[in-house]
Amino acid sequence: MIELREKAALVSMLRHGGVRWGDVADRVEDAGSAVMALQSLHEQAELTLLNQEPPDLEAVLGPVVGEIAAWRQEGMQLITVLDPAYPENLLTVHDRPPLLFVRGRLDPGDARSVAIVGTRSASPRGLRQAGDAARRFAEAGFVVASGLAAGVDTAAHRGALAAGGRTIGVIGTGLRRSYPKQNADLQRELGERSAVISQFWPDQPPGRHTFPMRNAIMSGLALATLVVEASHTSGARMQARIALEHGRPVLFLRSMLEHEWARGYAERPGVHVVDDVDDAVDRLERLYTFDVAMTA
Amino acid sequence: MAGRSYIEVSAPYANFMLNPAKPERGVCRVCHSSAGEGYADCAKCSFQPNHLDAVVPVTYSIGGEQMHRALRNYKDGATPRIRQQIAYDLAAVLWRFLVSHERCVASTAGVSGFQIVTTVPSGSTARDDGRVNLRRIAGEVCGATRDRFERLLVPTDTGTDTRDYDPNRYRAVRQLSGENVLLIDDTWTTGHSAQSAAYALKQARAGAVALVVIGRHVNREWDDTDQLLKKLSGPFDWDDCVVHVE
Repeated sequence: MIELREKAALVSMLRHGGVRWGDVADRVEDAGSAVMALQSLHEQAELTLLNQEPPDLEAVLGPVVGEIAAWRQEGMQLITVLDPAYPENLLTVHDRPPLLFVRGRLDPGDARSVAIVGTRSASPRGLRQAGDAARRFAEAGFVVASGLAAGVDTAAHRGALAAGGRTIGVIGTGLRRSYPKQNADLQRELGERSAVISQFWPDQPPGRHTFPMRNAIMSGLALATLVVEASHTSGARMQARIALEHGRPVLFLRSMLEHEWARGYAERPGVHVVDDVDDAVDRLERLYTFDVAMTA
Repeated sequence: MAGRSYIEVSAPYANFMLNPAKPERGVCRVCHSSAGEGYADCAKCSFQPNHLDAVVPVTYSIGGEQMHRALRNYKDGATPRIRQQIAYDLAAVLWRFLVSHERCVASTAGVSGFQIVTTVPSGSTARDDGRVNLRRIAGEVCGATRDRFERLLVPTDTGTDTRDYDPNRYRAVRQLSGENVLLIDDTWTTGHSAQSAAYALKQARAGAVALVVIGRHVNREWDDTDQLLKKLSGPFDWDDCVVHVE
């Protein structure tokens, strides 16, 4: 019940307005409790608008608790930054969402994950590369995250599923929607077999701003982002930039160097051009070693 | 598996680090934040004594952005893995910076080098004993400091408010005989802890005391700060520092 009040308080904070979305996560973490963070938000508002009575906390939280229960009935769980189930990798990035909607189930093992991104209008070669990479990452014990979009994303999810691996969909709409519509079945399958994650209210339609926001979550969730086939206008390029700003490695399949933007990116610290998935796995094992003495 | 080098570990941080502004009009002479139009020092530095012979921030840490997040997570991250991983990264950042720039720091402080390295403690003994990661960075992981590291300062637990400069906040655990001390901290927000620490070291007869702090915390919402930040541009240059001497 305490847990449910915490979730309800966070939903209320996000609806309250006046606080930047990124600040909400900070405030909740600082207070160690969403209920307490909401209370101090109310107190602040009271100070600014002198005659305003602070709202009765129970009256605010009650209806939201009911909503959350209804979402849960529908198979949608709310995970807050203070929940132990919140993805560990995502906690370390500055733009982590304070709240995630999840269909399916998150697993602590999801920390060992790679995001596979690329163009929606992929060539046969790009689709094959995405599917192969996902399959081999799954065989190497990695969880494959992707965006449930057409093209590379779809091939990556299907490749991981074919290998019996776990694959997470990180979507740019609310959980009640699918974009594109043709992927509704795949989205349902991921929700049943692993997890679909959204940072948006359940009915949020796709929009210009929702996909970049989704890319930030996907980058934060994964240990690294593998870019398979992507032109300079692709959302995958956006994710590569965001991943670098998170300090996360970006992996390019060597064939990406056909693109001018990727040749430029390849010069930046944190970008690794890999020959294949074995090469990528070796690099990730190395990049995530912290228990060995560092050398000069 | 062989360990990685500090160059390799620190490299990705250049994607979100930002070289702080060098001394010039509008930049605080002490801490390198924006001083405000017509002022030589920022408001905080104007109202507390300066016991430091050099203050050298490695990067700005902008409120709500990735460096800020890292500087918080290495000590307060939700899981041991998060804390260990980011402490390791930050040790590499410090190591790389000091290999290139410790001599610039010494030169600014007017000395040829530092015999002792220590860290700024937390405000109270309870917090300081629990927060081991800064000492781990300087005392164990960072190859540029670990051989000279000593836990010289401890909180006295006498003050009531840890938000201001307080000459009695810390005490040195032993007397020095004029050795120069390189003081390390993770974040400079107001500078009160670093100045309180420097005072305690000088009381214990340290020679020069210079501070290298990883992040100079700034906030885009502060007056003049956004203007200052907009004038600076990446990518981060490891070969430069705010007191650089060729």
